[in-house]
Amino acid sequence: MQPEKFYYDNKIVRDFGIATVLWGIIGMTVGLIAAIQLYHPGANMHNQYTTFGRIRPLHTNAVIFAFVGNAIFMGVYYSLQRLLKARMFSDVLSKIHFWGWQLIIVSAVITLPLGLTTSHEYAELEWPIDIAITIIWVVFGFNMFGTIFKRRERHLYVAIWFYIATFVTIAVLHIVNSFELPVSAFKSYMVYAGVQDALVQWWYGHNAVAFFLTTPYLGMMYYFLPKMANRPVYSYKLSILHFWALIFIYIWAGPHHLLYTTLPGWAQSLGVAFSIMLIAPSWGGMINGLLTLRGAWDKVRDDVILKFMVVALTAYGMATFEGPMLSLKQINSIAHFSDWIIAHVHVGALGWNGFLTFAVLYWLIPRIYKTELFSKKLASFHFWIGTLGIIFYAVPMYWAGFTQSLMLKEFTPEGMLKYPNFLETTLQILPMHVMRSVGGAMYLLGVIVMAYNLLRTAKQGSLVANEAAQAMPLEPVHTIARESAWHRRLERKPIQLMVAALFVILIGTFIELMPTLTISSNIPTIASVKPYSSLELQGRDLYIREGCSNCHSQTVRPFRSETERYGEYSKAGEFVYDHPFLWGSKRTGPDLARIGGKYGNAWHYNHLMDPRLMSPGSIMPEYSWLLTQNLDTTTTRAKIHAMRTLGVPYPVGYENQANADLDEQAKAIAADLAKDHIKVKSNKEVIAIIAYLQRMGMDIKANKTTK
Amino acid sequence: MKYHSSILLFGLLFIAAPSQAADDSLISGKLMDYIGLGAVAFLLLLVVTALFVLLRTIKLFTRAILRSEGVTEEEIELKLDPPKATPKPKGDVWIKLMSLRPLSEEKDMIMEHEYDGIQELDNPTPAWFMYLFYGTIIFGIGYLLNYHVFHTGQLQYQEYQTEVKQADIAKQAFLSKSANRVDENNVKLVSDPAVLASGKAIFIQTCAPCHGEHAQGVVGPNLTDDYWLHGNKIADLFKTIKYGVAAKGMPTWEKQLSPKQIADVSNYVKSLHDTHPAGAKEPQGTKETDDKLASK
Repeated sequence: MQPEKFYYDNKIVRDFGIATVLWGIIGMTVGLIAAIQLYHPGANMHNQYTTFGRIRPLHTNAVIFAFVGNAIFMGVYYSLQRLLKARMFSDVLSKIHFWGWQLIIVSAVITLPLGLTTSHEYAELEWPIDIAITIIWVVFGFNMFGTIFKRRERHLYVAIWFYIATFVTIAVLHIVNSFELPVSAFKSYMVYAGVQDALVQWWYGHNAVAFFLTTPYLGMMYYFLPKMANRPVYSYKLSILHFWALIFIYIWAGPHHLLYTTLPGWAQSLGVAFSIMLIAPSWGGMINGLLTLRGAWDKVRDDVILKFMVVALTAYGMATFEGPMLSLKQINSIAHFSDWIIAHVHVGALGWNGFLTFAVLYWLIPRIYKTELFSKKLASFHFWIGTLGIIFYAVPMYWAGFTQSLMLKEFTPEGMLKYPNFLETTLQILPMHVMRSVGGAMYLLGVIVMAYNLLRTAKQGSLVANEAAQAMPLEPVHTIARESAWHRRLERKPIQLMVAALFVILIGTFIELMPTLTISSNIPTIASVKPYSSLELQGRDLYIREGCSNCHSQTVRPFRSETERYGEYSKAGEFVYDHPFLWGSKRTGPDLARIGGKYGNAWHYNHLMDPRLMSPGSIMPEYSWLLTQNLDTTTTRAKIHAMRTLGVPYPVGYENQANADLDEQAKAIAADLAKDHIKVKSNKEVIAIIAYLQRMGMDIKANKTTK
Repeated sequence: MKYHSSILLFGLLFIAAPSQAADDSLISGKLMDYIGLGAVAFLLLLVVTALFVLLRTIKLFTRAILRSEGVTEEEIELKLDPPKATPKPKGDVWIKLMSLRPLSEEKDMIMEHEYDGIQELDNPTPAWFMYLFYGTIIFGIGYLLNYHVFHTGQLQYQEYQTEVKQADIAKQAFLSKSANRVDENNVKLVSDPAVLASGKAIFIQTCAPCHGEHAQGVVGPNLTDDYWLHGNKIADLFKTIKYGVAAKGMPTWEKQLSPKQIADVSNYVKSLHDTHPAGAKEPQGTKETDDKLASK
């Protein structure tokens, strides 16, 4: 047999590389702006499109799906071709994948500041974009499997197992979490409500971390690290064990995001138990990486790329140890809703994802441009400023998290909250937030320096768009001997491998999701809980549009410090009409589940106009546009109809009456405001949002009075 | 060189002194804090720099002294930068703990396959790693048994009841000993300046946003006139503040202010009667007669 000649497609790798760097800079800059708003609310430039609640989702989407996403595709397209000794299956599909993905990101950059959001964290994009993501993801999968089928290497290397698991799991996660009923072109309601919606969302959210930020990166680590260090992978057996254990166990751990909520106790406990079991499988990747460097540590001293890899692996190890610890309910009761979690995710994101991406870029760009890196000094500067940036970011956030959480829990001997005013605890941690933005700025500066360094590198070389390679074609299957090791046999069968991975992740999915989604006895109903009025429903959608749930939770946990502060703890039956749930995951401001009736309408009006009027020192943005913009009531019909389809018991034909009821309620609120000398027309958005705020938690209070 | 940092320290103190003296100046306390923190950070940086400079100086001096003593250049180099001892090979304990095999045996463990030049070793999974894995699985099973089979651990709602019960006991024990037992039935009208000062501080912090800094009324009603919505007796005020008036937007303060604080602020409000602040809101409620004299 003659070796076959073929060409690797480097151009597509380069394109994804450029996109990685560009979106990285954009996403991190947006993050920096958001961080500054947390101590200087005026940094929103007094503009609704750049206000925290709308750009925080933009930041997370940009860094996860644009920066990390493009980096994944860069790494996969580079390593997959070489590990399979084949060019990508189709250049056309590669191009569709690339441009399709960039278009999705651009649409996110447009729609999120406009307030078009589902409010599901890391899945905020509205339904048309969800469909586009599905199509492009399938294109990616098709291209990957096409390449696998025409490979010249019989067995699939461990990196490719991770890529396959990533592909199939993300597909399942994305589809299940996007079950939404369209109301209009850019508005939809989640099919699930309340507790069920929360469970689906965090099953998704947690596993987006697992299968978008972890498994593809482990795959990349398995290809690039041995290449960079020129060392053999430490243990093939460890690869097998930790791969299967990781994907099996990860999928169960989602409920640890919902501890002390109304999620059934057994589901919470399962989430905790599996989170603890996740330590070893996660560490398997770190150990295999660090031990691969065994005998090459002298290189780490000189080679900045290996330095990036070592910090990345260490950050991964720290974050995957901290995660299980945070899932223990005793620790979770302090850390959840606080800045501790922000510190935790940024150790993972900046350290593991960021640094591994930088290492790959520094290694790969000079290679596909057939040249040397423009400046090792600048790369070294990037390494140090990036590492310092991570420390400056994480340490103040840990500090802020402990401080605020403990303050919120502190009681005086009289049995009163020591800090009854939430704002006091916020003001306490503002210096830490200043420090955090300094750390973030340092990290961003490093990335900009890298961009310059890579640009100069590219300029001094020339792109080898099609890199020549040769390999022997595969001999026919019947000529090769049956292998004794079962896993070796599986490595020859990509479809079976994919099905096995799918099966493994579906076990945890079914056991955890199905009972809560199907058995209604898990959600005790409360008779006094009624559907929202049409005005309140519109107000709720404004609450979603403005991204209020990025800073305000809507679930009171059963702690004395919370029931004293907010009122009785939340019950599952309160949320049955909440499509989507709005529990939030961070309390930058106080919980709002019991805000209804706590203050007067005038208080809310003034507070939304300028929070500092009613709460001096508050860091909440001004929502002045709510005072001037008219409420769009043309959507009321469709919304009521959609809600009824989802099972909310609005009477048949209520659509026709909905806007009349809306007007009546709005006029009553406007009249009440007029008593306090606030002149506002009843058709303004602020009226609707006040109506919603005044409704929250009222049903359960009504229950009390009728008893 | 040595004196530089202390001179600078004095210099900094000198700069800081006027701003400390001018406490009531336009610089806010918060800004001062930032300036202070900045100064501390700057100072630390300075100390580190000074240490580095010092180190270099000492080296330079040593070199000069040694040279004057007639020591050759090579010997000086050797003295100042002794060659690093070759690192000791890691002990057996480490290798055993990590279940590592010596690097020299590695070539026997290389597996026959390779991918794009990447080889894999046939190392076993480290023993400690397996113990960790089994340990966490046992922990996980134990966790579920603890909370859901043996019920030895409390789930969240039980935990909550325990927490509240314990807090109630502690609270009762504390209150029975303290003088903090005032409520709407026994609150007294007083004009003690200490009480009024404490009441004023609370008023500015919690009441002013709605009632105005001088109680002239903003969103909430004017508290200085003769007209009252919910009564003007000290007990009425105490009750209104304690329980709030949900329908009118007056919050409940029971959970945020202690009984003593509510009494203080009630007395402060009473003391504001007939102060006629600027921009007073129009009267709301019914005319009440002042009970100041009656109670005196």
